[in-house]
Amino acid sequence: MTTTQAEMVTVRVFGALRQAIGRSEVQLPYADETVRGTLLRLAADSDAEISGFIFDKQGNVWRSLMLLVNDEPVENALQQATRPGDVICLLLPVAGG
Amino acid sequence: MRVCKSPPWRVTSSSDRPSAVAGPSIDLSEDQIERYSRHILLPEVGGEGQWKLLQSKALLIGAGGLGSPAGLYLAAAGVGTIGVVDSDTVDLSNLQRQVLHCTPRLGQPKCLSAKQTMEDLNPDVHVIPYHERLTSENILGIIADYDVVLDGSDNFPTRYLVNDACVMSHKPLCHAGILRFEGQVTTIVPGEGPCYRCLYPEPPPPGLVPSCQEAGILGVTAGVVGLIQATEALKLILGIGQPLIGRLLLYGALDASFREVRVPRHADCAVCGDSPTITELIDYQEFCGLRP
Repeated sequence: MTTTQAEMVTVRVFGALRQAIGRSEVQLPYADETVRGTLLRLAADSDAEISGFIFDKQGNVWRSLMLLVNDEPVENALQQATRPGDVICLLLPVAGG
Repeated sequence: MRVCKSPPWRVTSSSDRPSAVAGPSIDLSEDQIERYSRHILLPEVGGEGQWKLLQSKALLIGAGGLGSPAGLYLAAAGVGTIGVVDSDTVDLSNLQRQVLHCTPRLGQPKCLSAKQTMEDLNPDVHVIPYHERLTSENILGIIADYDVVLDGSDNFPTRYLVNDACVMSHKPLCHAGILRFEGQVTTIVPGEGPCYRCLYPEPPPPGLVPSCQEAGILGVTAGVVGLIQATEALKLILGIGQPLIGRLLLYGALDASFREVRVPRHADCAVCGDSPTITELIDYQEFCGLRP
């Protein structure tokens, strides 16, 4: 991993979020914050209106959103401190059939 | 004779019966031996496995993008009884991907169109059509007769209803969903791994996640994902391989990617957890996302 990559956090998205953002991954400079902080920063920095895909009007993350850190489900993921190189995965269910 | 050691998640067919020899008695006709010869050649299937398939019962929720490829291949495989639940009729926009149907059947009930295609493909298969919408009132009675359920529905209220009903009925459920160029597949075996609510505890509010009608779907993506779903059902019936229990498979058509994430069962899951809080089936109101 290059020094540059190690200083970044990647947010990987699927489905409706991928369509909203226009790409499958967003890289953010690492900051000393929780996963929730990173998601807030993602929503604020994005050109697309994606906040509503992640947070409800009360600022809580939708319970229909699956959150993974480094491809693993993490208990209380939102409160977990991020580390350089982390990959945060956001999954919304898909209903198409 | 090959002795199969049954894994814990093995589907228990209603026709299973004890035998003095390893495996059930097998009675395949000459035509069946020829029709299923490519299955029978497989050590993991053999005549015993093919017999299991012929005795098994699979229920398709939806005869659309997912149900079509799944139904075709389950019929080809010789799953003896296939139920098809679909309240819709064949529409021109369906034919880009819903390969159970065809142009001459526009306007016909999809469950009947599906029945015709599957039984024409394989006369060993008996298709039971349910031209109705699933609700909390009818679902338990419908799924009761089947060994495995495949969810190919097209809306969240139905998906959560199917999950909850299967958990409450201890029915294995092959779940899949598609949108645009992507698909998600997992296998739910109550008591063995997570259920759909362990993955997504609540349905998203209306408008958050578009439907295929709104966002589109690459037709072949439905084919790929529906066949993975059917593969899972066959694995459960045959008791072979490693089903996607506790795993969510993510397929991306544009980059031909298959990604897998581990999804544990949650002890506090509202339906399958240690102390369920959802003990009755829910008819979510589709347009407000709230319970009635």
